[in-house]
Amino acid sequence: MRGFKTLLWLEHRRSWVWLVSLLGSLAFWAWGIKQVRVMDVAERFGIRAGLLGMAAAIGALVLCLMIGRIRAETRHGQYQVLLLTPPSGYAHIGARYLYAAATAFVYAVTIGFLCWWIAALAGIHLDARTLFELTLAVPLYAIAVTVLPLLAWTLLLMVFISAYRISGPGWIPGTVMILGTPFAVRWLITGVGRISYSLPGWRLLANAPTALIERFGQPDVEGTLQMTSVIDRGVPIEPLLIMLALTAALLAIAGRIRQEVEA
Amino acid sequence: MLARLRDVTKRYRTAEGVRDLTLDFPAGEIVGVLGLNGSGKSTLLKLIAGLLFPTTGMITVFDRPPRGVRSRVVYLGETDTLWPWMTPEDAERFMGGLYPDFDPARYRELLDALRVPMRKTKAMSKGERGRLRLAMALARSAKLYLLDEPLAGIDLISRETILTSLVREWHTDETILLSTHEVAEAEGLFERAIYLRDGRLALDARAEELRERGKSVVETFKEVLS
Repeated sequence: MRGFKTLLWLEHRRSWVWLVSLLGSLAFWAWGIKQVRVMDVAERFGIRAGLLGMAAAIGALVLCLMIGRIRAETRHGQYQVLLLTPPSGYAHIGARYLYAAATAFVYAVTIGFLCWWIAALAGIHLDARTLFELTLAVPLYAIAVTVLPLLAWTLLLMVFISAYRISGPGWIPGTVMILGTPFAVRWLITGVGRISYSLPGWRLLANAPTALIERFGQPDVEGTLQMTSVIDRGVPIEPLLIMLALTAALLAIAGRIRQEVEA
Repeated sequence: MLARLRDVTKRYRTAEGVRDLTLDFPAGEIVGVLGLNGSGKSTLLKLIAGLLFPTTGMITVFDRPPRGVRSRVVYLGETDTLWPWMTPEDAERFMGGLYPDFDPARYRELLDALRVPMRKTKAMSKGERGRLRLAMALARSAKLYLLDEPLAGIDLISRETILTSLVREWHTDETILLSTHEVAEAEGLFERAIYLRDGRLALDARAEELRERGKSVVETFKEVLS
């Protein structure tokens, strides 16, 4: 446990600049959101939400860069130092991943608050439950199905490449893995789509339609039906479970490979 | 026996690191691992540390595969491996948190003795960083120390300080494998010298035997490897 805490401390010392920059970048996005001055309220709200979507996507990429800095460490010899420490490869992978996942969560929660803020700017007043869901449940769900497996995949990719550094050209397995990933993702999306809603969905933001109607008035019949159907079904639980299982599997493989890496 | 190598060969992608090495390292020796550049000194130490796996042959350290006993072996690599933000205090936290055999009091004594400045490594000279790394390594209570070129690129005064510390900190039940190009300066330390040439064992001799034959470690180095 002491070793794992030290690895987390080390991860923080290595990555706090990334953490601060990432969270600081949201101030820039907030400034950008404030600059949107389209007259139509709904359109303005849409553009602002789109900007937040971009912030989320860019944040995920930055996190991948943060977690994937193994290559520089292998070049500078720090990877060698870490390989010789008593904690297992799983502990090293776990600490690195936990720090990045925690950063992703804080980032997503902040984006959740920014969503609440742009809703307030548009005159949409959300109740306490919706605010809670928007800033905790929705970020948790969103990062669990997208960012967490992406980070685990990046970590595995970098460990995989570094494993071949001494005995073979690392770019070959790296390229094979990168080229194979789109096929795996397509297969995964098809499979998950097929089994989604086998279990009851997770109802999130159930009170949001009321707030929207209060602000923008009753939509047409078709719009009302669509909104009710989406809210009533909730978000599917299956992608969440499958992605968490996939993340655990990717991390386990990365940890196992790291046990065997040469430096 | 602390470490055994049997017919060990290590091949890299395009070159051979070491070939057919059979060596035993008992407890209580300071061994000089000597050779020209590319002779396989670093490969040998990395194999014993478990950083590399042999292509063929077998290595045991404390009767187990090296990877399984890495917490009981001290390895000081030739490259400058510290993080630039790291201060000696950070290094103490790092070592103390990861190595149960790390002795903070001994570490602070070593920092004093080796005159390591208390600033970030990026603001230290190469010699100061080398001395800090040595303090980190010697503050552990291990039985096997693998020191790869700890004197490389370090000024004369620092080299003398490092060698003096090595002698002072060494206990008779510990074994040190020291690879160095500064053969003349370190000669007095060695009880045994292993000479490597092109990855093969050229000579394995006790310093005392060499002296009895009227040869020093340095003279043998020139004779065997030239």
